[in-house]
Amino acid sequence: MKSFLARLGESIIVILVVLVLNFFLFRIMPGDPLTGIVDPRFSPEAKQQLAAQWGLDRPMSEQFFVYAREMLSFRFGLSMMSGTPVWDELKNRVPNTVALLLPALILSAALGIATGVHAALHRGSGSERLVMLGGAVSFSFPSFFVQLLLLMCFSYLWPIFPLRGTTSVPPPEGFAALTDYIWHLALPLFSLVILGFGGFALYIRNMMVKAMGEDYILMARARGLPFRRVVWNHAFRGILPPVLTILLLSLPGVVSGAVITETVFSMNGVGRFLLEATNSHDYPAAGAAFFLLALLTVGCNLLADICYVLVDPRVRREGARE
Amino acid sequence: MKNYISPVILAALVALAILGPGAFGLPDGTTAPPYSKPAWLDSSIASKVTIGVKSDISRGHVGASSNLEWDYSPPARVSITGTLDEGRLEWITPERAYLLADSPGELDLDARDIPFKKSLGISPFADMSKSLFPSRGTYKLSLAGGGDVVMTIEGGRWGILGTDHRGRDVTSLFIRGIRISLIVGIAATLIATILGVSLGLLSGYVGGLADSVIMRGVDVLLSIPTLPILMVLSGVWGKGLWNLVFILSIFSWMGTTRTIRAMTLTLRDASWVEGLRALGAKRSYIIFRHLVPEALPLLLANVALGVPGAILAEAGISFLGLSDPRLPSWGRMLHEAHTYGAFTSGAWWTILPAGLGISIICLVFMDIGRKLEELADPRLARAASIEARAEAGK
Repeated sequence: MKSFLARLGESIIVILVVLVLNFFLFRIMPGDPLTGIVDPRFSPEAKQQLAAQWGLDRPMSEQFFVYAREMLSFRFGLSMMSGTPVWDELKNRVPNTVALLLPALILSAALGIATGVHAALHRGSGSERLVMLGGAVSFSFPSFFVQLLLLMCFSYLWPIFPLRGTTSVPPPEGFAALTDYIWHLALPLFSLVILGFGGFALYIRNMMVKAMGEDYILMARARGLPFRRVVWNHAFRGILPPVLTILLLSLPGVVSGAVITETVFSMNGVGRFLLEATNSHDYPAAGAAFFLLALLTVGCNLLADICYVLVDPRVRREGARE
Repeated sequence: MKNYISPVILAALVALAILGPGAFGLPDGTTAPPYSKPAWLDSSIASKVTIGVKSDISRGHVGASSNLEWDYSPPARVSITGTLDEGRLEWITPERAYLLADSPGELDLDARDIPFKKSLGISPFADMSKSLFPSRGTYKLSLAGGGDVVMTIEGGRWGILGTDHRGRDVTSLFIRGIRISLIVGIAATLIATILGVSLGLLSGYVGGLADSVIMRGVDVLLSIPTLPILMVLSGVWGKGLWNLVFILSIFSWMGTTRTIRAMTLTLRDASWVEGLRALGAKRSYIIFRHLVPEALPLLLANVALGVPGAILAEAGISFLGLSDPRLPSWGRMLHEAHTYGAFTSGAWWTILPAGLGISIICLVFMDIGRKLEELADPRLARAASIEARAEAGK
């Protein structure tokens, strides 16, 4: 419990840092945030009115508190491009990003564990080569290149998947809407799994090889336990905490990947919203999207911490002693 | 033999980057029709051909003509430039003759110009190169009178790797991309390593408040998705090459700091360091004369292993279109291919070279880094990485 509370405190610190970073990122830049929308021909009064509308005429400290309130209450203020509340534009996009990232993470972890363990048990086999290849792809192939290739193969040369978008235009009704959504999601999801599993698999293989050489595994086998049970209940159980750590450390990268994936596949998610807002110098919108992505990371981190307490008896026992 | 592959590839890439596209006579800027195919790909398409006719009336010439054997599909572009002093300029195809011009003056005709199409009696919406080159056979550009005219026929085949959406030579762009990737990758990693080592030593050897502040900072930075920050920063702080290097380096020192801190912690309590302290050695002397040299081989490996991350990050930012459009980086090439419809033109040559270039350069640095790590000190490297992993998992 204590360690979990410490983690919770750490998460809150991260969110505060993000909040401060987000505020100053957009305010240290040279020039006026209004230059994007103000025409040189505007009268000074009109400029002042616009500045007042976004609260830019107030002192910096007051701006920060207004900004923090807007962020923490999920209102995010008004978009500088459309003039509508940012949250109205963002709220439809959050589920799309989650629907892409969560299955991608779960599937690539599952595939990584399966191939990693298999490769560790069958040294020199085809699955070990697959793990090595997957690792090389994970660490040195740019994600967008792999995705462009997939898009070229499966949407252009052999068009079985859509070239772009989150749904068809116009979107179909009823049950067809779900299949249409999954059909659009399939290729991006597949690309993220291909790109993601190799890293996990490589780590798991290395740890598993070491674990299988330990004395307690020899002991378990000497006791005549079934091999499968030795592998999963003894060896894999033992490396579960570091596996979770690696999963945890990969989260920011996965969220960063959302920006690129959503751009390549022209998906309607938070990542592409951030890119569009950055490109059009719409600071409230870009700030909101960045904040949401950071929040998503921190949230997943916390989730992983809860799992950590569940899988690591040392942490659990420490809690019981409290 | 296998040990030399990566250094040899790296040396070749460095050589290409230093020589630049100019050394191979490769052009800058627009050179051929957009999305021209690689020259070796499809021999039914012509590469660039020019034919000229010249006849000087003051010397008593009455005309000139030149023949062209055409054995290809219709070209992508046809243009005619020069001067016509008097008489008529005709284009004789195996089927019929076209009167290209008959009034004296400067000629600047392009097969895409609507008035030119109309003057030949071709529909403004038709593809004129198909009318001018209806079949395979012998064609003739004939000038009756005086003038100096050049006809340029661009078939849509160019160089080793074709051209991109703006008609730029992809081979030339590819070679210029090496330079950007190498500069960004190495410079950003060097700066990040210097930063990481200083903070790691501070945190590990000095400890106390500095240690907890730095490690908190590392934890926070490691749990924020960096690409969005990099995007916003490159949007805000400008898109130049060095801005990018700076931005990348301030977000990639954390790993080095952790490793160096873990190493310093193990070394700090080693008996020989204790011996140095007992002899009255100053802290700075121990750090710079003993700890840093001890860590140097590992650091070299760390630099090599860090380069792929920086190269991939730069490529990602460029791919999102957030880099300077004048810098021809590989990520930028892929961005333009994605944005300007390379798929629908089937132009794989704008995608594969850049993507494979990034992947190969990353694989090369990873391989060299791993070799250096093994060379450095296998035992120490392993100990430090286990330490760092235990730290991360605490």
